[in-house]
Amino acid sequence: MEVLLEHLPELWQGLIVTVQLTAVSFAGAAVLGVLVCALRVSPVRVLRTLGTAYVETLQNLPLLVLLVLAVFGLPEIGVQANLMVTAIVVIAVYEAAYIGEALRSGVNAVSKGQGEAARAIGLTFGQSLRHVVLPQALRTVVQPIGNIFIATTMNTALAAAVGVVDLTAAANRVNLVEAQPIPIFVGAGVAYGLIAAAAGFVTGRLERRLVILR
Amino acid sequence: MKRFVAAAAISLLALSACGESSSPAVPGAASPQSDVLAKAPVATAAEILPGSTMEKIKQRGELLVGGSLDAPLLSQQNPATGEVEGFDAQMGKALAKYILGEPKVKIVNSASETREALLANGTVDVVFQTYTITEERARQVAFAGPYYTSGLTIAVKKGTTGITKPEDLNGKKVLAGANTPAIPAIKKLAPQAEIITFGSDPECIQALKQDRGVAYVQDETILIADAKKDPSIEIVTKPFTTDPYGIGLEHGDDQMKKFVNDWLKKMQDAGVWQEIWKTSIGTVVTGDAPAPPQIGSVPGS
Repeated sequence: MEVLLEHLPELWQGLIVTVQLTAVSFAGAAVLGVLVCALRVSPVRVLRTLGTAYVETLQNLPLLVLLVLAVFGLPEIGVQANLMVTAIVVIAVYEAAYIGEALRSGVNAVSKGQGEAARAIGLTFGQSLRHVVLPQALRTVVQPIGNIFIATTMNTALAAAVGVVDLTAAANRVNLVEAQPIPIFVGAGVAYGLIAAAAGFVTGRLERRLVILR
Repeated sequence: MKRFVAAAAISLLALSACGESSSPAVPGAASPQSDVLAKAPVATAAEILPGSTMEKIKQRGELLVGGSLDAPLLSQQNPATGEVEGFDAQMGKALAKYILGEPKVKIVNSASETREALLANGTVDVVFQTYTITEERARQVAFAGPYYTSGLTIAVKKGTTGITKPEDLNGKKVLAGANTPAIPAIKKLAPQAEIITFGSDPECIQALKQDRGVAYVQDETILIADAKKDPSIEIVTKPFTTDPYGIGLEHGDDQMKKFVNDWLKKMQDAGVWQEIWKTSIGTVVTGDAPAPPQIGSVPGS
């Protein structure tokens, strides 16, 4: 226990990096995810194929592989950003595939009549998506999106493998000196757990506030 | 048809002959490392005390060693043979031979996060894994040895100027292996350095070449091997730390500790320790084997 208190500054710094990684990459994933979802439900075949290809590629590759490829592979072709930025972009791109799919299930949950009605009053595809379908779709998928947020939090730990000093890496470094893995990693685990619990609490509240009774 | 069968038979024969003649050339098939173990000592029956950890290992017929599979020259699995080779791996096998009469080991891939727990709960009998003896660690595990001493040094991309001693790393980005003693050492000597860690040595070298950091701090042996393989990096300092590696044992097992220390002494007196060094680390470090460190000379051992 005192190990944790003694090294609180380092662990705290790690926790901040984890929160930053999670927040920024999740925001990026949300924006990209909406685009991916729009592609997947679009009436144009080429766009649909593009969306499917994106989702299938990213869902079928482990995140760690993507991170290592981006960190060590991209510089070989002249693309190099700092480690934190690389990790954020890769996690965002990866999680976007999952968000896109969650949103698509929400879109499919909106009854066909809604889309038809939107078209009947002369809205374009983009307009009907923006004003009619997505607002309803988003409300149905609050819970799955919350789960993806929690998964993103846990996935940021992989950034430790490519040099980002997040909570996991910070815990590793403390353990290296103190050799007390159990309190240190339990402590780090509790911090991750708290982030997840907070996310769960917020999604629960949001879901109750936004629910549409059909 | 007959002709075809004959032709097929002949070509098969030719193929198998070819296979036979080339088999001695398979890398690692007849490694000089196994010959070294032939000279390794074996404990007398009286030394294996009844009820001791040694006897338990003997009854099991196998020594469980915590170690790495990816540490070049120290403990690395050869993908061609599946054998784990290197200084630490050979020492583990030699200890197994001392107890069992044959070098039968099972290497459990341990990590610096798990070593203490694996020893405490009996998953492994001993740990051979560049396990630096420190007083913090000695509160949780027992250390026999030290059996080897190494030190950290600094490598840079060829042509880098301004780095000649550890203090020069202040304010710079420095690469280090995750979970290596390099991290606390850099923090102590160059507190303003930004430490960037990667899991394995090849990753750190790649990162050094891609300018993710200006210097790479790592064990001297590993860096010498790296610089040999890759002419674009160079080593700029003599070792600036002394890391005594110990053999990790279960905390409080004084019987086993004495037993292992006696074994280590015999290994050194018989020259087996030196030969193991020659066939592993000695393949990249020139000169004779160094004098082995004094057993029990380090606080914590």
